[in-house]
Amino acid sequence: MEDLLYQFMNNFAFLILSAIGLAVIFGMMKIINLAHGEFIMLGAYIATLATKAGIPLLLSILLSVVGVGIFGLIVDRLIISRLYGRTLDSVVVTWGVSLVMQQGILILFGPSLETLSTPLGSISIGGSDYSLYRILLFVTAIVLLILLYLLFTKTTFGLHSRAAMQNAEIARSMGVNTNRIYSFTFSIGAALAGLTGALYAPTMAVSPTFGGGFLMPSFVTVIVGGANPLIGPSLSGGVLGVVSTGLDATWGTFFGRLGLLVVAILVIRIMPLGFSGLVEKLSVRKSRG
Amino acid sequence: MNNRKKRKSLSLLLVFVLVLAGILSGCGKSSGSNDDSKTIKLGVLEDRSGDFSLVGIQKYHAAQLAVEEINKQGGLLGKKVQMVAPDTQSDNKRYQEMAKRLILQDKVAAIMGAFSSASREAIRPIMDQNKMLYFYNNQYEGGVADNMTFNTGAIPEHQMVPLIQYMIKKFGPRVYTIAADYNFGQISAQWVKKTVEANGGKLVNEEFIPLGVSQFSSTISRIKKAKPDVLVTLLVGQDQSSFYEQWSKSGDKSIPMASTVNMAQAYEHKRFAAPALANMYVTATFMEELDQKYPSAKKFVDKFYKKFPNDKYVGMEAESEYTGIMLWAKAVKKAKSTDTDKVIKALESGISYDGPAGPVTIDPKTHHAIRNVYLVHTDAKQKVHIDTEWKDVKPDWLSKEKNVDLTKKQEAKQYTPLK
Amino acid sequence: MLVKLNTENIVAVLIFLFFFVYPVLVDAYSVMNLAYFLSMVFLSLSLSLIWGYCGIFSFGQAVFFGISGYFYAVFTLNSGITTLTPLGLILGVLIGGVIAWILGYFMFYGGVNDVFVGLITLCLTLVLETFMGQTAGDQWMIGQVNLGGFNGINSIPSLQIGSFILTGNSFYYFVLLILLAVFIFLKWFEFSKLGIAVVAIRENRERTKLLGYNVPFIQSLVFAMGGALASLSGIFYVLWGNYITPSAFGLASATIPVVLVAAGGRKNVTAALLFTVLYYWFSQTLSASGSEYALIILGLVLIVAILFVPNGLIASLFHAGDQLFFREHSKSLLRKKGAKTL
Repeated sequence: MEDLLYQFMNNFAFLILSAIGLAVIFGMMKIINLAHGEFIMLGAYIATLATKAGIPLLLSILLSVVGVGIFGLIVDRLIISRLYGRTLDSVVVTWGVSLVMQQGILILFGPSLETLSTPLGSISIGGSDYSLYRILLFVTAIVLLILLYLLFTKTTFGLHSRAAMQNAEIARSMGVNTNRIYSFTFSIGAALAGLTGALYAPTMAVSPTFGGGFLMPSFVTVIVGGANPLIGPSLSGGVLGVVSTGLDATWGTFFGRLGLLVVAILVIRIMPLGFSGLVEKLSVRKSRG
Repeated sequence: MNNRKKRKSLSLLLVFVLVLAGILSGCGKSSGSNDDSKTIKLGVLEDRSGDFSLVGIQKYHAAQLAVEEINKQGGLLGKKVQMVAPDTQSDNKRYQEMAKRLILQDKVAAIMGAFSSASREAIRPIMDQNKMLYFYNNQYEGGVADNMTFNTGAIPEHQMVPLIQYMIKKFGPRVYTIAADYNFGQISAQWVKKTVEANGGKLVNEEFIPLGVSQFSSTISRIKKAKPDVLVTLLVGQDQSSFYEQWSKSGDKSIPMASTVNMAQAYEHKRFAAPALANMYVTATFMEELDQKYPSAKKFVDKFYKKFPNDKYVGMEAESEYTGIMLWAKAVKKAKSTDTDKVIKALESGISYDGPAGPVTIDPKTHHAIRNVYLVHTDAKQKVHIDTEWKDVKPDWLSKEKNVDLTKKQEAKQYTPLK
Repeated sequence: MLVKLNTENIVAVLIFLFFFVYPVLVDAYSVMNLAYFLSMVFLSLSLSLIWGYCGIFSFGQAVFFGISGYFYAVFTLNSGITTLTPLGLILGVLIGGVIAWILGYFMFYGGVNDVFVGLITLCLTLVLETFMGQTAGDQWMIGQVNLGGFNGINSIPSLQIGSFILTGNSFYYFVLLILLAVFIFLKWFEFSKLGIAVVAIRENRERTKLLGYNVPFIQSLVFAMGGALASLSGIFYVLWGNYITPSAFGLASATIPVVLVAAGGRKNVTAALLFTVLYYWFSQTLSASGSEYALIILGLVLIVAILFVPNGLIASLFHAGDQLFFREHSKSLLRKKGAKTL
């Protein structure tokens, strides 16, 4: 039982952390960021290289968050800012960005990097070992969701950005600088991707294709979650985590993976707006009733 | 209005640049390929970008080294060898495009290359159609019987059979296999099963992991529950190699691991911090650590790092590529021609090259290599120790069980132990 | 109404003339190479039709590309009779169309639209890739053919009509003639009665519905046509290389048509055609050069193209040409465009 719980925590953390940056950018800006995996990869590189240079891991992780955030800001100012509102063009451009980043890293650092060792060791429960760091990842995912919730509900930025998300025209006419909001949002999304990369860097092989493994789960989580960058991923991370843990434990990894995709297709068919849409519908009904 | 004009001129400029770049690169190509009579062209198809570049770049560098040495010793038949090497970008479509290009446009004498089995299967029929001599210098799941194809890498007879026998004898009969869920993994797992049963062992479970999976918590818990004596890992690609780090933190490191792909190919023991790859047993046809014991290996490793000081590892695929090219050169010299039929005849004469990993001889019936196999293991600090060596291991499954004799019969297919 | 004198049509005529004389000018390799590029043009046209004309954004035309490719392989290898290959081609295209129809029915009648269609189709193509990748075992036999897992199926027979095997130049002309037919059909379709309803759906679904059109029906129909075109592309690709693998369903295969159609100009089939051929040629030349900067250059070109020429590189060039040489037309075109966006 604690085995299954541990697996669920692993899956949930992986889904949430891989999706969170993408969810923020897609939810707030309607930009489909195909370079999301490469932002994650960049975070992993910064963290790994910094730690190798003697900086403590915690500080390196912080450095990746800031570094990828700044990189995101640059990408936004140079490229994305010209594409606000053009969802489908963003597919092409961010794909171009991902090609450039992946090959650029390959040229700069070669096809692989020496990986860090997972810190913190393991704890023994019921005669079985569990990685403490991975349990911490689960806690981090939840803390991150709470922090984002606070950012988007309790701050002026959050208020403005939610206004821009619902109706950019009206928000602008009320004096909200939507362009600045979008820039900030994009760089937060990038910084979150950087965090994910840095957090997973010590547990995985670091290479230019590092981001590839994150792309599919992150898209599925965002699709199932829908537009709301907070409610969406938390609910879909939970549901998908249960589904993939269950299938995986019963029939093996292949079905765990296939299950994710099938659930995604079914969810879009039944409720195109994902869990966020469902929650909104319910809350509207509740306030009316 | 002004803005629109500016935009238009920009777009025109862009197209101009695009066309120019294309024309320039096109010209560069054709002007380079005009001096046909003075050189012998050798095509090399390796992945220098994308998923497989980790090994592809090593192999490409090994090919450069081999061609440079051949030319230093006066070339072949009085001509210089010129390498034509497009980047196949870990993309099977690209393999097909570039194979056709090398054959029809560059008119190369032979083609070396491909890392993944899928890439090999993409181009093998093209080689057959065009009667092109093809060397697949790579470890793989075995079974290709094709008159135009030669393989200098390791196959299950070399690695799997000795490895499993050794592991069962030393650690016990209960074996658990985890393998990448595609052709290589499935066929290799079949070999594990076959060998385990033939040696009185018991396969407690075999589990297949889709390519691209990087999270292993459920697999790890299943292995821990089964408590095998030996864990066979046939994991492929950057994502799957994450298993080792995760296994070392929440798995049971006292269970010895055995593999035919890891370490010797993608140097996981150098890329992951100890103890991720500790307690691992590998059979390999070459590893750079062989230089502790074998002078020929040391010579090769030194040459390699002298030419490519920034490279991180020289593994068994790099050695296969190097040896493959040297065998081809020897056959061309023997045949006194680059004519495909004559070179194949020379290769089928049991030609042999004393390479970095000892003598490598082409087995005429199967077009695979008779070569030495080394068993190594890692200690707790991931230092590599050489345990045993088997000399001149024969690739005879095809000829013994499937009656393949390529010197007598035309074939172009891949046999598998699945059926 | 069909042959208007403007840059696009002139270029289209010139391109096809060039394609027809091309084999006379170059060696056999270049002809086969262009045949491959032309095979991939059908995939772009399929997206151009459903996305450019009808506003349905599909991220998964690779689904039909791959399914029909696999169907052709399994059908022809099982039948063993090479004269049945044309039947394999026809059935493959029909099956691709029918599957697209079913998928379209599932989506459009359920009210799935816009970016969500893209996401469903993307998931579907990734499901198929994951599934096909693990079919190496002998439990995955259809008749006598093993699906082959990640390594795919090879030695798939070429097309044979009667006793004549289509390879080299004959295959090239076969693809070219079908391309010409499809192209003319698409040009005609744009201004046909149904085509106008299709464009109306792109511009405003609600309004078209209120005008009495059965929007989900028309969407499904166009989606099925797109599926059939993508299937044609898949089978031609198989005929060109005699080979198919699960990577036909992969993320890269799914993305490339979107990139080509968006960067070339999505409302314009000539632009999609021209840009596809140019792109494949350019990326192949880069790859052949062996330069490590190939993918970087490719990425940068795409970024610059979208940023500076938002309506598509080729489409904008056509527009510029119209303004230079056919002032009248372009003015009326502009006016029309202005009206649309309002």
